[in-house]
Amino acid sequence: MATFKLKIVTPDEAMFDGEARSLTVRTVEGDVCILPGHINFLTALGMGEAKVVPAEGEARRAACIGGMLSVNGEQVTLAPTTFEWADQIDLSRAERAREQAQEKLAHREKLNDHEFAIAEAKLKRALVRSSVASRR
Amino acid sequence: MAGVSMKDIKLRIRSMESTKQITKAMEMVAASKLRRAQDNVTRSRPYFETIYATMCAIARSSGSFTSPYLESREVKKSCYVVIAGDRGLAGGYNHNVLKLAEAEMAQRSVTVVPIGKKSVENFRAHGYDILTDAYIQAGSMSVSDCFTLAKDLCGRFLAGEFDEVRIVYTGFVSILTQQPTAMTVLPLQGEGEPEAAPSETIYEPDSETLFAAIVPEYLGGLLYGALCECVASEQGARRTAMDSATKNAEEMIGDLSLKYNRARQGAITQEITEIVAGSTGS
Repeated sequence: MATFKLKIVTPDEAMFDGEARSLTVRTVEGDVCILPGHINFLTALGMGEAKVVPAEGEARRAACIGGMLSVNGEQVTLAPTTFEWADQIDLSRAERAREQAQEKLAHREKLNDHEFAIAEAKLKRALVRSSVASRR
Repeated sequence: MAGVSMKDIKLRIRSMESTKQITKAMEMVAASKLRRAQDNVTRSRPYFETIYATMCAIARSSGSFTSPYLESREVKKSCYVVIAGDRGLAGGYNHNVLKLAEAEMAQRSVTVVPIGKKSVENFRAHGYDILTDAYIQAGSMSVSDCFTLAKDLCGRFLAGEFDEVRIVYTGFVSILTQQPTAMTVLPLQGEGEPEAAPSETIYEPDSETLFAAIVPEYLGGLLYGALCECVASEQGARRTAMDSATKNAEEMIGDLSLKYNRARQGAITQEITEIVAGSTGS
């Protein structure tokens, strides 16, 4: 089966570098699936689940937040700000973060816009993490 | 007479030894921190290089659309992000990067974002226009700090507060070599030849929304990468400086011990001569 070169890099680590059969990620517009032979493509990533099907082995799922996806010929580059494989997510930590964020957001009137945005972003991240982790 | 000088020498040796102990300890601390910082650099470098290469490629092939991030305006005001260390005693590390920054800034209208205590102190003392001095601790800056700063800079860049953004940092070449570097990050620079088929790329949702979303990420990524390089460079420079300080101390202790032994020998010889002279005299 045809494959393409996939590279996943985050500020902390290179997560994946090798051949893959398909890559599904959530962009700001919705989910896209990249298959071999895709036209050159560039988009910004949203918050959601990513699915990588490597050339050999099982499909792997991950939480993938922010950053960009670029397809240039046969080279696909995924550069998210956060990328965590589903089996590496600490579910209890994500749940705790979710509760904390929700608690904060419950008192909307006490927060200024900046704090509100931070709490909201935290909640979204926690939700993505826990939904990816709990469906493994 | 010999006794006094012997005592002096002994004191100096002792003080040299305690200095040596301190520099030795600092060297070992720097070496262990360096190992961690070096790991960080090697792990973040792929990201740093990938996003830089991707953005350069986009800037090159941007024939089909325009974006305020791509246009190079006439540079009336520049914004410099200068990353230096939090502490001294790192050889020429802080001095070199600040010297480069000042050389770059000379004759221009600039605003500075100093990162690191030494950088903040330097620009404050020289009366530069400082945009923010919230990043006084270069060592404790996190990824999210970098992204916040990047978002802020992008906003100000778009608002026209300055026409270019440059980063001055110290690149980590190897443990022994660190290279102060200045790099233009905004507007985006397309290095090399324009690509043959620029129109074949799909941008989603559209180029403008896309750029508004990914340019701050790109800048944040670059800042974080530069910061990692700087932290590693600082530790590298400190290790080298402390290593040579320890060696110098050892050398001085050697010299002084020699002098001390000579003086001691001299004193003994004199004593014997005096005794012999006294016994033959009687």
